Amino acid sequence: MSPYLLVLAIVIPAVAGLVALVLPTHRARWAAGALAVVATGCELGLAIYLFPHDLFFSQPWLVFGTGFTVDLAFKLSRFSAFILLAIAGFGFLVSVFSSVSMAGAPSSRRFHAWVLFTVAMAAGAVLADNLLLLLFFWEGLLLTLFGMIVAGKTRPFATAIKAFVIVGITDLCMMLGVMLTGHLAGTLSMSSIHLPLDGLGSVAFLLLLIGAMGKAGAMPFHSWIPDAAVDAPLPFMALLPASMEKLLGIYFLARISLDLFVLTPEAWVSPILMSLGAATILFAVMMALVQKDYKRLLAYHAISQVGYMILGIGTALPIGIVGGLFHMVNNAIYKSSLFLSGGAVERQTGTTDLGKLGGLARSMPVTAICFVVAAASISGVPPFNGFFSKELVYDSALERGWIFYAVALLGSFFTAASFLKLGHSAFFGKPADASRKVKEAPWPMLVPMIVLAVLCLVFGVANSLPLGRLIEPAVGATVTRGETFAGFPSSMLLVGLTVGVLILACLNHAFGVRRTGKGLGAVDHIHYAPGLSSVYALQETGVLDPYRILTSVVRLAAAVLYRIDRVIDWLYSTVATQSAFAITWLLRKAHNGNVSRYLAWSILGAIGVVLAVLAIFGGVR
Amino acid sequence: MQEGILLLVAVFAPLAGAFLLPLLGRLSTRFRDLVALALVVASLGCSLALVPGALNGEVVRFSVSGPLGLSLGFAADALALFMAIVSSLVGAIIMLFSFDYISHYENQNEYYLMAVVFLGAMMGLVFSTNLVFLFVFWEITGIASWRLIGFYRSKTDVLKADKAFLITALGALIMLVGILAVYGQTGTFDLDAMKGVALPFWVSMLLLVGMLSKSATLPFQTWLPDAGVAPSPVTALLHAAVLVKIGVYVFARLFLATFAFDEALRTIVASIAGSSALVSAGAALVDTDFKRIVAYSTVSQIGFIFLGLAMGTPLGVAGALLYILMHGLAKAGLFLCAGIVEQNTGTKDITKLGGLIRTMPWTAGAFLLCVFSVMGIPPLGGFFSKYMVVSAAVSSGEIAMSVVFLAGALLTILYLFRLFSKVFLGEPQGAVAVEKSRLMVACVVLLAALSLAGGLLVSWPSLLAKAAILQMLGVVQ
Repeated sequence: MSPYLLVLAIVIPAVAGLVALVLPTHRARWAAGALAVVATGCELGLAIYLFPHDLFFSQPWLVFGTGFTVDLAFKLSRFSAFILLAIAGFGFLVSVFSSVSMAGAPSSRRFHAWVLFTVAMAAGAVLADNLLLLLFFWEGLLLTLFGMIVAGKTRPFATAIKAFVIVGITDLCMMLGVMLTGHLAGTLSMSSIHLPLDGLGSVAFLLLLIGAMGKAGAMPFHSWIPDAAVDAPLPFMALLPASMEKLLGIYFLARISLDLFVLTPEAWVSPILMSLGAATILFAVMMALVQKDYKRLLAYHAISQVGYMILGIGTALPIGIVGGLFHMVNNAIYKSSLFLSGGAVERQTGTTDLGKLGGLARSMPVTAICFVVAAASISGVPPFNGFFSKELVYDSALERGWIFYAVALLGSFFTAASFLKLGHSAFFGKPADASRKVKEAPWPMLVPMIVLAVLCLVFGVANSLPLGRLIEPAVGATVTRGETFAGFPSSMLLVGLTVGVLILACLNHAFGVRRTGKGLGAVDHIHYAPGLSSVYALQETGVLDPYRILTSVVRLAAAVLYRIDRVIDWLYSTVATQSAFAITWLLRKAHNGNVSRYLAWSILGAIGVVLAVLAIFGGVR
Repeated sequence: MQEGILLLVAVFAPLAGAFLLPLLGRLSTRFRDLVALALVVASLGCSLALVPGALNGEVVRFSVSGPLGLSLGFAADALALFMAIVSSLVGAIIMLFSFDYISHYENQNEYYLMAVVFLGAMMGLVFSTNLVFLFVFWEITGIASWRLIGFYRSKTDVLKADKAFLITALGALIMLVGILAVYGQTGTFDLDAMKGVALPFWVSMLLLVGMLSKSATLPFQTWLPDAGVAPSPVTALLHAAVLVKIGVYVFARLFLATFAFDEALRTIVASIAGSSALVSAGAALVDTDFKRIVAYSTVSQIGFIFLGLAMGTPLGVAGALLYILMHGLAKAGLFLCAGIVEQNTGTKDITKLGGLIRTMPWTAGAFLLCVFSVMGIPPLGGFFSKYMVVSAAVSSGEIAMSVVFLAGALLTILYLFRLFSKVFLGEPQGAVAVEKSRLMVACVVLLAALSLAGGLLVSWPSLLAKAAILQMLGVVQ
């Protein structure tokens, strides 16, 4: 099999993207969408075809004498084949969905082009076997991120810039990490880098980790996601923050933890990772809980779920790593399904404000069923896929410390509570104004949702399929030590606790609904609990947004730096010119044409010369 | 010998031909414009024709011996060719842009004369093998830029032009002392004859002052934003593409290609470059004048080039050379966009601009692409150069320095987005501005496209950069 097929996996969507940009959309509005579906379909076919193979492509690219050589190197391993398959799959499903949902929008041509570029860049990042090449594609996704957000109805540049800056900062950190890694390893070729986590190695690891977390949208690099959920076109959310960015971020996290460096439970970065994961789970889900908008609520969950993956991989235990990666796949599936259901609701009703929705289950039954399946998965209800991956993560977290387990379990409680609230207020309860006379979404939007919902069930019931075929081969036998993690969880105690928490969430929901009389108010008793309400209020104002804090710090620093610049300028414009004037003034005064004045100068000068001569030659003698 | 003629044409076509332009201007302005462009393109073509030889390591020379060590000599090695191609390529696009931009001002003859002389002197400077002639060409660029900055002739314009001239001339005089000291030590002005000589530290410092002042680096930076009063093609020519790169080029020519590399310079130059990058990036976040912001950005980016050169490693020098190319293209694009905006709206104050993306979509798109290149976002060219220079610092163990520069890169992202938002986004203010001149818009789109091509086809300029570092540092493959 020709290794050039790997290059083809990048070239197909990239070229299709270029073509989409120049298509005459005013004549054929569907053309860009159709092209995107065909191209991503080809990509998916290629990914399936390549899946069982191991391929390597390499060609010299940038050569600058000794010390710096970058090869155009792509490698298809078990791991990258699996992620490539997932990327192509989600790219295809989202293209099918958006071929309808974006049709007729003025930006549809650009949007489809950006989707295709995103698939190309993501495929490149996954296949790259050279850190600089990986960085090239990785940072290139910044542009597609920017472009896709801007394709929103209102041209939300502010949100796009915010996203760009936040992700850009993490990319700069990652760039430094790549440089350090290359410096320590003496090569940028990923296959031949295996570094210990010692002093500088840990720094490099942490910098690369920031890059991975930034891509995955973990805290504190998250705050653009809820904004984008409101402003950006909805398929964007299903494609990037829900699935592809998680896949890439966690893929890279796994690569650096398992491959480039060797993360062991004893390493000091392991507790850091776990704490970051646990904090992300809890804080983001607390925010999700109180959202009153369908898309914003989902966006906070998109942040929160990364926490489970980071926690799992951070434990550095085989079960946690496998669980984290399994959760990555599962999250991508149910989260895209949820976002797509949100997109269907928005298109059919014209709003995502939960206060204006209600009773949609009757008019949009298919969407509602898909939503319920996906919501059950994310809440960890057996036998859906989320249950199984969360159990693996719980198991590993408990082994490393009960506090991590407790936080993860608490996160599950809030997750279930917020989805009960969301489902109740959107799909059940009394039909609100916006929900009357609503029709079911057209089939190209439903099919991707149905496919994903079915996958939620399949990956749960038959979890030996993803675990045994995709994830365990990806991490390799050195990590799994030949064990398999498929099948029903081994610890019935943990399962019991999980089910107990789900029951508690239902009781909590019933309590909240009875207290306020509506689904949307189901968590008001938590939202306005003493102590919590003031934190929530503070968050509402945006003071806690890391982006806001960063911009004010930078503004202050810039003011100081500008003063430095002005002081230097003052030295030239004022001090230099004024002293020149002062000197010329003195000289002018000295030369006033008066003979006696000149005579006095001459005598003084002569005395000076004599003194100087005496001083010099007198000293010699 | 045929190559020798190419070399002479590259230098003297613009340098001598420029003096015909005022005469031609009396016949036909259109013809004069085309001849001016043709002179620059001739330089570009001759330089390009010399590239295949340079890739094989050949050096084309031409010399006329003179008394007192004042032999006029030119040599086209890979370093000189790289610089010559960047200058004449960007210069040619800027000349094309000038056709429409300058067409309704007075003193057009002088404009074309000075701009072409400036580019010719630049060619002479990069190919010179004699320190005295290098200095002479250096000062010719100074005089030409003095006239060009004060093009509009108002009192403030003339003051700013004087400021630019005085600061760079001060630096040049200090450098001249250094050149004489070099002569005192080596007994020659011929660069080839002094290869490998180790300079005393203080002589290096004297030379460095000249380079820093010409390249507008801290503490000589402030003339550059002030010179933003010039017409936009002039600012693009002087501040983005050519003039400010002179100091950087001579640094590479003297300290890396000629004299033995002084390790003491590394930390000093890197620290100066780092503070320059940060201070001017901060200033770019505060200032409210379109062209001043872009000029501060230039000061900041020059810091990155100095960083790569100061490291003195193959990676750093190659990165710095690519940086000169990528930054020249993208920054010229930004300045020319500023020119389009300024000419169509009548203001450079970003607080009085807004919403132009609706009425000037092509300009906005080209501007955004150039912005991404300056930020260093792939697949644009700026990514590779930024990675390489900072990576060179990391490999040399200057990790703290690399953090400073990445902070500078973050500020770059912030101030460029601030500029873009204020000018092109938000609510339109004042009169509706449209893209009147297609030629001008085509020029900025071309620069944006070249920035993109520079990233996608980065291995092409890299070939020449690699040949240059092979020659300069004697690195074996």
